[in-house]
Amino acid sequence: MPSKDKGHSSITSSDQEMVLSSLEPEQLAGLKKHLIPRRHLKGPEKFVMWSLRIYLLFMIVVVIYQVWASLH
Amino acid sequence: MNLGPLSRLTQRGVTQEDVVITHEDVDRAHDRVRVSAARAQRGTFSKFRLLWLLVGPGILVMLGENDGPSMISYAATGARFGIGFFIPFVILTFCMAIVVQEMTMRLGSATHRGHAELIFDRFGPFWGWFSMIDLGIGNFLTLITEFIAIRAGLGFFGVPPWAAVLSALVFLCLAVMMHRYWTWERTLLAIAVFNLIFVPVALLTHPNWHSVGSALITWKPLPGGLSQDTLIIVLADIGATVTPWMLFFQQSATVDKGLTRKDIHLGRIDTVVGAALAAVAAVATIIATAPLFAHHMTAENFQGAEFAQALQPLIGRFGAALFALGIVEAGMVASVTISISSAYAFGEVVHRPHSLNLPVAQGKAFYTVLFLCAATAGAIVLIPGLPLVYVVLLVNVVAVLAMPPALVFLFMLANDREVMGDLVSPTWANILATCVVVFLTLAGLLFGLSVIAPNLFAFIGGK
Repeated sequence: MPSKDKGHSSITSSDQEMVLSSLEPEQLAGLKKHLIPRRHLKGPEKFVMWSLRIYLLFMIVVVIYQVWASLH
Repeated sequence: MNLGPLSRLTQRGVTQEDVVITHEDVDRAHDRVRVSAARAQRGTFSKFRLLWLLVGPGILVMLGENDGPSMISYAATGARFGIGFFIPFVILTFCMAIVVQEMTMRLGSATHRGHAELIFDRFGPFWGWFSMIDLGIGNFLTLITEFIAIRAGLGFFGVPPWAAVLSALVFLCLAVMMHRYWTWERTLLAIAVFNLIFVPVALLTHPNWHSVGSALITWKPLPGGLSQDTLIIVLADIGATVTPWMLFFQQSATVDKGLTRKDIHLGRIDTVVGAALAAVAAVATIIATAPLFAHHMTAENFQGAEFAQALQPLIGRFGAALFALGIVEAGMVASVTISISSAYAFGEVVHRPHSLNLPVAQGKAFYTVLFLCAATAGAIVLIPGLPLVYVVLLVNVVAVLAMPPALVFLFMLANDREVMGDLVSPTWANILATCVVVFLTLAGLLFGLSVIAPNLFAFIGGK
């Protein structure tokens, strides 16, 4: 059977069976440390992401200016 | 040892030693057993029971987004523009929220991973940290405004600011100290439904239903036309409905609740019901403060529950008290959901346990982040002289500006066949999502232009 987490001595064998029968494998907390494989971004995707990043930085400057203008 | 259904994970490098059962798993499994039992039964009652068991993240995220700053934005909208353009416009923003939030629910159900975790894993830490910085700053600023709302709302009843902040922190502690996702969700749902308290307040103002119906059909009037002030309210109202924290919260809550591919249909119903309830509360708030416009009162000097004070001569002490309570409730519920959204994302990124099923001893990092965010935001609100309403509107504007980059991550993940399999977004969903991204980007750019070139609106016929 799968092992119990340290400090989880109150987890019984029937608990373990219930977990394995009712949860999908990917739902187990202990298995989430396994990373999902990295995706390599294509040129157009990188372009969109950088464009929106620049858009956000520009707009934050606009908002800061707006606040400054309102306070003065 | 035979791993049974887990054996297919061995292809991804999972070993027998990795399969560790925790209390978090046991609690989630108990919830899933009840879902399976309800699904196995036939009959109308069983269907409703299944729906009851599966609703939660969608309603909570939508009513949670009807938070303090959102309700104050809607109140400012009603006071400044009355019944007209903004009633159908707010309903449109909730339709946008449904499109966006459905994707997060689908992602969580299909992958069992939180939003931050997926972005880090699929796009790498470079883009992941950009996303986390956006979320962290946005969440913290929004949390500050939740405490502003709580402080202002309780101020109506004579509660001093320090006591208001303290009571909000105590509420937060009580809400998350149940160590059980299910109990937390049901308790918060019961409290969040009080968001509809704005409906009786609206009725007390004896609204002109003919004007409401006409506004819904014609999208008019828009007093003052297009101006920078109008645009700020437009952005604030969009920011009151679609914000980055909602993406992270609903996906993580979907995972924490344990929804699976089989539950996606009911997850959609959960999201739509939540949006409908939230839209009713939002429209009711605009209608409730519309008399301030009709009586030529402006919102500029009102701070939070000062809207309630302004309404008191029109709807009486009881109605005004309901309005103030509504602002407090909105701030309290959102302070919980937003703090949890930050804590979920932190746990996902640093790979520490992150679940409301965790006892404190096993979720120290999760609960520490949660409380530190809230306590710091609460302390900032006690600084005297903060321009409260301005801060609130501005936070919503910043939320809108941060949305397009966040939506692109969501869009790419929802169309990623490697993680979604056959649950990738259909074409119609992609068209709608693209429209939302373009709309939000254009609204932000228009705001930017109005700041850089204030005469622009006069040139095109506005003010």
